[in-house]
Amino acid sequence: MSLAQPAAESDYVPHRREFRFMRMLAFDVLLVLVTLVILFPFLMAVITALKSTSDIIQNPLGLPSSWEWGNFTRAWSEGHFGRYFWNSVLVVVPTVLGVIGCSLLAAFAFATTKFRGSTLLFALFMVGLTIPLDILIIPLFYEMLSLGLLDTLPALILPQIAIGLPFGILLLRSFIQDLPRELFEASALDGCSRFQMLRHIVYPLTRPAIAALLVFNFMWTWNQFLLPTVLIQSDERRTLPVGLNYFQGRYISDVSLLLAGATIAFIPVIVVYVIFQRQIIRGMTVGVTK
Amino acid sequence: MARTRGVGILTRGTIYLYLLPALAIYGLFFLRPLVDLVRLSTVEWDGLSQKEFVGVGNYRELLNDSEFWQAFQHNAVWMLAGVVVPTFVGLLAAIVLVRGAIHGRAAFRALLFLPAILSSVVVAVVWGFIYNPNYGVLNKGLDLVGLPARDWLGTPSFVLPALFVVWTWVTFGFSMVVLGAALQTVDESYFDAAKVDGAGRFQQLRFVLLPAIRRPLAVVVLINAIAAFQVFDLVFIMTNGGPFGSSNVLQLYMYHNGLQFNRVGYGSAVAVFLGSVILLFSLVFLRLSRLTKESD
Repeated sequence: MSLAQPAAESDYVPHRREFRFMRMLAFDVLLVLVTLVILFPFLMAVITALKSTSDIIQNPLGLPSSWEWGNFTRAWSEGHFGRYFWNSVLVVVPTVLGVIGCSLLAAFAFATTKFRGSTLLFALFMVGLTIPLDILIIPLFYEMLSLGLLDTLPALILPQIAIGLPFGILLLRSFIQDLPRELFEASALDGCSRFQMLRHIVYPLTRPAIAALLVFNFMWTWNQFLLPTVLIQSDERRTLPVGLNYFQGRYISDVSLLLAGATIAFIPVIVVYVIFQRQIIRGMTVGVTK
Repeated sequence: MARTRGVGILTRGTIYLYLLPALAIYGLFFLRPLVDLVRLSTVEWDGLSQKEFVGVGNYRELLNDSEFWQAFQHNAVWMLAGVVVPTFVGLLAAIVLVRGAIHGRAAFRALLFLPAILSSVVVAVVWGFIYNPNYGVLNKGLDLVGLPARDWLGTPSFVLPALFVVWTWVTFGFSMVVLGAALQTVDESYFDAAKVDGAGRFQQLRFVLLPAIRRPLAVVVLINAIAAFQVFDLVFIMTNGGPFGSSNVLQLYMYHNGLQFNRVGYGSAVAVFLGSVILLFSLVFLRLSRLTKESD
């Protein structure tokens, strides 16, 4: 039988290519399915947010029988999400700028100059890499109370700058150390001040590290939950995660409103993620594969 | 190449100006609360009246506190599972994304990483809806295929596994991305050599791929362990430790004692214990990490 015969070489090649194409297609389809399963909770949340309450009970798995866009406007106004969103921005921006600014200055000092106690001081900063901020929440509460900062946004900003510094200093120091020293010597000959070196040499050449710090600290701060839960008490100063959690407590039975609120909370993060996706992924791998 | 280190371009006077902002904020809002935490763990205090020094009294009480040990046990199991499952799932995904014959690798990677960037409250709300006993999607789905509905977060024996599924959903993306980046650096010729030697797929995985990414794998395992031991947000929002403490974890126990039941000293002692374990793992991590090495 011809089927049992080994195919001639000239017949075999296109056949094999076809087979490979089919396999690749099967792999693609499989991966699409797996990805859909993993993204299912998102899709479910958005679809359910657009249903009416009776629709959720009668038709939990299907598409909405009527699309209730009003759930979103209700969540926005009743849920105070606009205010929470603004508070999150007011916390994240100074935190990220603070971490980058302070880390850059300190890392420049550590990387370029050996001074008395520099090793010890650097080690002291590295302690912050080993202890998570959440563990300090009890003393932080009493410290903010005694400083009169309880229930203010600086109570969230200052500790989050502090905990961002160790990684910032470590990352930037290692970048600055790798710059060729001739750059600094040449610029010194040209009459560059130390601060100008930082501004015109170090800053442009450490941009990838700064981008990574920006993205990381944005995400850490944007999603920080325990700190605002404990240190903020009034509704006007809640950030998005605590605001959403508070909203969840109040609207536990109004599922579509709750999921509309959750959708409002995750859309900005997804937008930032889509824009900065490359930086996020590159930043995450910098410590491991550098 | 000549390195910048030790160029000595800052003078003794100006160096402290560069260090001051970082040192001030770090000192006041990290080091000071850290010292305070250890001091608080040696007192009995309700947050208002006079502090009473009890030495190691709080720690001694911890030893005999069955609720504490129950929480510790949950943390230990959670960490073990948190090391194995997300790392394995992430590695699998990374192998498919990097070595699989697929289209649109970057797009798949971006989509699969999406759960990792969400705030824990969003995750908790969305999964709380899936697990909801009355109108949750999971029970409706089980109903369709004729399986019994359950109260996933309200049953002591289901609550931790149910929460852990959510944990895996959130954390596998990190392992996937980091291990994927490591896999991309593996030289293709190693695989070709192994194929010439007649190695099958599994043998290529075992003897070429895994040894080549040994170091990043160790880093990922440690980071996963550290993250898992600190589990808090999800449990706090979804179950608050219940039912009957069956999903209680150390950080939640710290929070309840120190900030809810006004047992400030006792809560601090729990925090010191938790912090010490994390510190231990972090030190191993820092030894492994390349960033902390002096470049040479």
